Amino acid sequence: MDNKTIDLSLLDGVLDEYASVKGSLITILQHTQDIYGYLPKEAIERISERTGIATSEIMGVGTFYTQFRFEPVGKYLIMLCQGTACHVNSSELILQTIKDELGIDDGQTTEDGLFSLKCVACLGCCSLSPVMMINEDTYGSLTPDKTKKILKELREAAV
Amino acid sequence: MINLTINGKAIQAPEGATILEAARANGIEIPTLCYDKAVEIYGACGLCVVEAEGIPKLLRSCSAKCTEGMVINTESERVVQSRKIAMELLMSAHDGDCVAPCQLNCPARTDCQGYVGLIANGEYDSAIKLIKNKIPLPASIGRVCPHPCEKACRRKNVEEPINIAQLKAFAADIDLNKDSYLPDLMVRTGKTIAIVGGGPAGLTAAYYLNIMGHSVTVYDMMDKMGGMLRYGIPQYRLPKEVLDKEIAIIEKSGVKLVNNVKLGKDFTIESLKAENDAVIVAVGAWKSSSMRTPGEDLEGVYGGIDFLRAVIQGNAPAIGEKVAICGGGNTAMDACRTAVRLGAKEVYVIYRRTRAEMPADALEIDEAEEEGVIYKFLTNPISFNGENGKLKSVTLQIMELGEPDASGRRRPVPVEGKTEEIPLDSVILAIGQKLVQGDVSELQLNDRGNIEADPDFFTTSMDGVFAIGDATNRGASIAIEAIGEADRCAKAVDAYLNGQRLDTRVPYISKRDEATIDYSDRKKEPRKTPRVLDPEVRNKNFDEVSLGFTEEEAQAEASRCLECGCREYYKCKLLNVAQRYDIDPSRFKGEMPQQYTRDENAFIERNTAKCILCGLCVRSCREVMDIHALGLMGRGFTTEPSPAFALPLDQTKCNNCGLCVQLCPTGALTEKANLKKQVPLDEIYTEETVTINGQKATVLVSRYNGKVLRVIPNDEISRNSGLSREELLELITE
Amino acid sequence: MRVVIGQGSCGIAAGAEKVRQALLKENINASIAGCIGMCYLEPIVDIYDEDRLTRLVKVSADDAPAIAEYINTGDRSKIENLVVTDEDSEFLSKQTRIALRNCGIINPEIIEEYIEKDGYTALKKALGMTPEEVIDIIKTSGLAGRGGAGFPTWFKWNAARNSEGEEKYLICNADEGDPGAFMDRAVIESDPHNLIEGMLIGAYAIGAKHAVVYVRAEYPLAIKRLKNALEQAREKGVIGKNIFGSDFSCDFMIKAGAGAFVCGEETALIESLEGHRGMPRLKPPFPAQSGFWRKPSNINNVETFANVAWIINNGGEAFAAMGTEGSKGTKVFAVTGKVKRSGLVEIPMGKTLRDVIFDIGGGMKTDKPFKAVQMGGPSGGCIPADLIDTVIDYKALGATGAIMGSGGMVVMDESTCMVGMAKFFLDFTAKESCGKCIHCRIGTKRMLEMLERITKGEGKEGDIELLEELCYAIKDGALCGLGQTAPNPVLTTIKYFRDEYEAHIKDKKCPAGECSDLIEYSINADKCKGCTLCARNCPVNAITGTVKKPHVIDTNKCIKCGKCYSVCRFDAVVKA
Repeated sequence: MDNKTIDLSLLDGVLDEYASVKGSLITILQHTQDIYGYLPKEAIERISERTGIATSEIMGVGTFYTQFRFEPVGKYLIMLCQGTACHVNSSELILQTIKDELGIDDGQTTEDGLFSLKCVACLGCCSLSPVMMINEDTYGSLTPDKTKKILKELREAAV
Repeated sequence: MINLTINGKAIQAPEGATILEAARANGIEIPTLCYDKAVEIYGACGLCVVEAEGIPKLLRSCSAKCTEGMVINTESERVVQSRKIAMELLMSAHDGDCVAPCQLNCPARTDCQGYVGLIANGEYDSAIKLIKNKIPLPASIGRVCPHPCEKACRRKNVEEPINIAQLKAFAADIDLNKDSYLPDLMVRTGKTIAIVGGGPAGLTAAYYLNIMGHSVTVYDMMDKMGGMLRYGIPQYRLPKEVLDKEIAIIEKSGVKLVNNVKLGKDFTIESLKAENDAVIVAVGAWKSSSMRTPGEDLEGVYGGIDFLRAVIQGNAPAIGEKVAICGGGNTAMDACRTAVRLGAKEVYVIYRRTRAEMPADALEIDEAEEEGVIYKFLTNPISFNGENGKLKSVTLQIMELGEPDASGRRRPVPVEGKTEEIPLDSVILAIGQKLVQGDVSELQLNDRGNIEADPDFFTTSMDGVFAIGDATNRGASIAIEAIGEADRCAKAVDAYLNGQRLDTRVPYISKRDEATIDYSDRKKEPRKTPRVLDPEVRNKNFDEVSLGFTEEEAQAEASRCLECGCREYYKCKLLNVAQRYDIDPSRFKGEMPQQYTRDENAFIERNTAKCILCGLCVRSCREVMDIHALGLMGRGFTTEPSPAFALPLDQTKCNNCGLCVQLCPTGALTEKANLKKQVPLDEIYTEETVTINGQKATVLVSRYNGKVLRVIPNDEISRNSGLSREELLELITE
Repeated sequence: MRVVIGQGSCGIAAGAEKVRQALLKENINASIAGCIGMCYLEPIVDIYDEDRLTRLVKVSADDAPAIAEYINTGDRSKIENLVVTDEDSEFLSKQTRIALRNCGIINPEIIEEYIEKDGYTALKKALGMTPEEVIDIIKTSGLAGRGGAGFPTWFKWNAARNSEGEEKYLICNADEGDPGAFMDRAVIESDPHNLIEGMLIGAYAIGAKHAVVYVRAEYPLAIKRLKNALEQAREKGVIGKNIFGSDFSCDFMIKAGAGAFVCGEETALIESLEGHRGMPRLKPPFPAQSGFWRKPSNINNVETFANVAWIINNGGEAFAAMGTEGSKGTKVFAVTGKVKRSGLVEIPMGKTLRDVIFDIGGGMKTDKPFKAVQMGGPSGGCIPADLIDTVIDYKALGATGAIMGSGGMVVMDESTCMVGMAKFFLDFTAKESCGKCIHCRIGTKRMLEMLERITKGEGKEGDIELLEELCYAIKDGALCGLGQTAPNPVLTTIKYFRDEYEAHIKDKKCPAGECSDLIEYSINADKCKGCTLCARNCPVNAITGTVKKPHVIDTNKCIKCGKCYSVCRFDAVVKA
């Protein structure tokens, strides 16, 4: 993945709004991740400067919650549901299929930077289990074949 | 004031007091690991739980407030079970060695890492003091011990183990050649103890019981003390002058030594018991074992220890030119090398297995060969042949190695029809030694024919009579085994004299899984051994073979130590709590949460593998110091206290106040001592007042044997002074 | 004719938006609604002709022309196959809806539609009473916390009301973390004003000027609709200063969680609201005394609040008339798993599990028999088939070892391994443990490791007893509810399915055939037709054989992926 320089000015708006509002750290981090796709070290340092919260505290909060990432993610972020209904309906097979198809493990990104895989807590679409979300779209009632097809289509669409 | 009852005791507590505060104020100890007055209550460790009548849940006493009429039990079965499992879980995820494997493998639990480290730092006085906590005869033992410590030494995984035994002899020799160390004695108790047998076991028990304030007399049948150290070990390995000096120190310390008196002739156990408060039987094993081979009664056949004793006493038998020694242990080595020195031309060692299986020390095997000894491996005598009652030859059965036996060694089996005959003038049977049973007929023996003694309490069939060493249980073993028993027996006897029964078993300690230890970052440095006399010189006399370490060699060798044992061992709160409960963390053995890593700056070393996540470091850095160098990272099982972005402490705002180290209940954070090589030591801490920038400030000063090892800021002024540890050290005089 | 498309998260996931777009192309501008709860039939299109409702189910974008034809011409012939069956209609008709009363019916993005359904009349009514009177009505209703613990709502409100301090907070816990539950999501997505109204009444009752909703980040649509609803409510003067001209003022704030189950625990939620790591605080002090920013705070869950407006409008007695002695009103369940009709079910307390799973849920969707139902998620337990007539009541469910929970109900058939189920939940709690206390941090991890060993066939004699010992120790010693209840799935599966544990440990067999390390695939030569399908699908070429001859699996090569088992058309592959 290429390391583009981080444009910290993008943070100004968020920090102007929240830096002095107590209890806003998680909100600031959520906005920061929306901007950069992850939480770059430079951004955390900037947040620390503006809020007066130590970087050790910010990283403590950032690493506590599963929502936050510290590495850029691929074009497609696959969030595979780990809920009970999905488990009962064999989501393990879907996980294996994705791993086999993409050659990545949970938390990793494919070398071409196209796909990232993240196992997530219940997405709440239990009736459609097993379920995954890819970026904003939800895919339900998955089978290994259906999963392969979805990945193939996305890969083709990206080329 | 609030009235409540804790453990049946009615107490009063001020309004708003927690149960923990109320209990501690009344001398009732409740264990805690995450609690400290300096920071806010946290409630993580859950060890402070107590049971309150009428409340279904266990209460965390650190936070639960006292209420009127409350009835608290801090040690109920449920509470103890909760703490026990908490500790088992905690220790199952605590990756660390409390003490080094060398110490654990030493039957006497000698603090090898401690004295090796002190020798590396040139602190010889401290080293000998540490050694003498466990061994009163270190110069002798350093020379003769087959050093199980070295077998466990992890340096072998890098290249070779540390030469621990020779380092001990080095430090002990220095002490012998000056004003020798004498222990401080406790207040005299007026109790008297008789010890039968002046070998390593008897002398050791005497030394320690004397220190504990008892009057001890050692009775021995020989004309001098020392037992097998004197009469079983040749002069070239242990010069008797060395032994004499060490025994003299024991005598000087106050132990009464009586020679030339024999159990069963001059006194009985019963008669000693009648005159003393306790008796320890440490008579040893003085009879050579038989091989049950035809012809053992021929003239020219000698028992191994009988032979060695005769030589030492100046009555060497005429062994002739061709001599064979049967056996593969250290006594066999002593016998063959003695035979060489007596002028025998052909000296054979007959052993059923091969060199690899020989129980003798490898160095001994090599040195004997250098001196001309011929090994007859895979042979077994089937008959000693004589003429007119005098030995002429031995017939050997040729053996080969078969399947492994119970000991794991491959069992030697005869090769059908293959024998060999060797003409001989004499043969020495060095295959073991046994208790002379008639001497101890008053005591119950076990089915092996040894005195039956409790392995942990050392009690025998007679009340007030204890037994240790070669004469007991499994029979003859190495000297350090007897010394270890003697040390523990001394404690048991002391307890007995105080009307208690002391369990001398080693309490729980944390050990790392050997398979997980990585040595790849260690630089190879070969093991050093002291120079020895040339084989052509030494095989003609009984001069000591080893020339001992020079100071330079000793320090270099000692510096190789990997420092396996934890520096915080002596003040580890975690271990202290763990040992209070009968825990078995192996029940919950599993993955460790953190890698074994080291982040060190000039003062502080971090190792999160030992972290128990009490949070005191993070909390004190935040709440007391407002520095925030550390934060809690991640969550769940793998949470770890760390600077942001996993930076080293050096790159944070850490001002080295040391508060986190001070509060850390275990060895996850340690502060380096004022030593070249770090050594875990039982330091003594005192609070002292110093002047920093014109202001009065308090610091904690730690000393070992008088030397200042650390100066730790202990108030706001000293913590924020910005002074380095060197500058703080300068404020304190030794 | 009015056309409404259900657009809850699962409806959208099933393609509801694509259907709406397709209808738009046919010049039909469909309005949206939330989720009706018949999740297994999504996407659902409701067509109202005056009051007559035609409900079309499992609609796809391709059906748009047929629907358009019906709307334009009244010709039903091409949509008959889409019309919901009478049997499926019973899924709704057998329910009693209070919390979900507007879900799937009104447009959640238009406040007027809520107001049309008597929205905000309860608030107006409450503001005409004293706070004590409001609390009294809630007390009469018997409403208890729907998040799982079942603590009387009036008691919490009363405690918060009586707490010293001017500044108080009313907090809604919408951090629905139980994997397998989505009741709260459905309420927020489908009827956000009902939540807002319930919260305002609660805020008035306890004397709070600030209301906060803590929603989990995984619910973006819920957050969006709630934000929208708040804006509209503000415009209407329903929230803000001097509501309905009274002295009562209350502002609202939404905080999005960031992915931590433990934040469903009150004190961890507060830590998270304050922007910290979601690590529970020691109790006491309880939030009612010292909560958000150390001020008195009251926390209730979404479904609890969703009942409040109805209770104020209909009276506490009407609510209390439903249910059992100790459990009043209705309860919403998210019924999922191997059940035929999965979705949201709201029924009065006092019904049985059988009523929910078989009568409303239609029983099993597979041909395998019902084995157990998991209730209460990671904090709950598995209730076995022979307890299917257990009454839905806090006490009765608690007696089984499971709990009422927040409403997750996952139905399992004989193919679900109960040891695997326990492992699944322990994996969840171990990952979600905040790491603060020893019992939870290390205990759940060690339990998981033991269960992993057992499901791999590495279990040993004594493991069950050791698991139980550890379970009770964790229940006793853990700091917060997450840890204290984490052993429940293990304890209940051991209690009801001990033989299954023993089979794993002693016989190294998984009776459900789910633990791949303990099963072996083979081919029944009598049934095998030699079609080669299995051999062609085997990823490791472990199957050999010639065409039209029985095939053989090389068990040394086999990786137990189960592919052959699933592709065989002749039931010739045997799993044992």
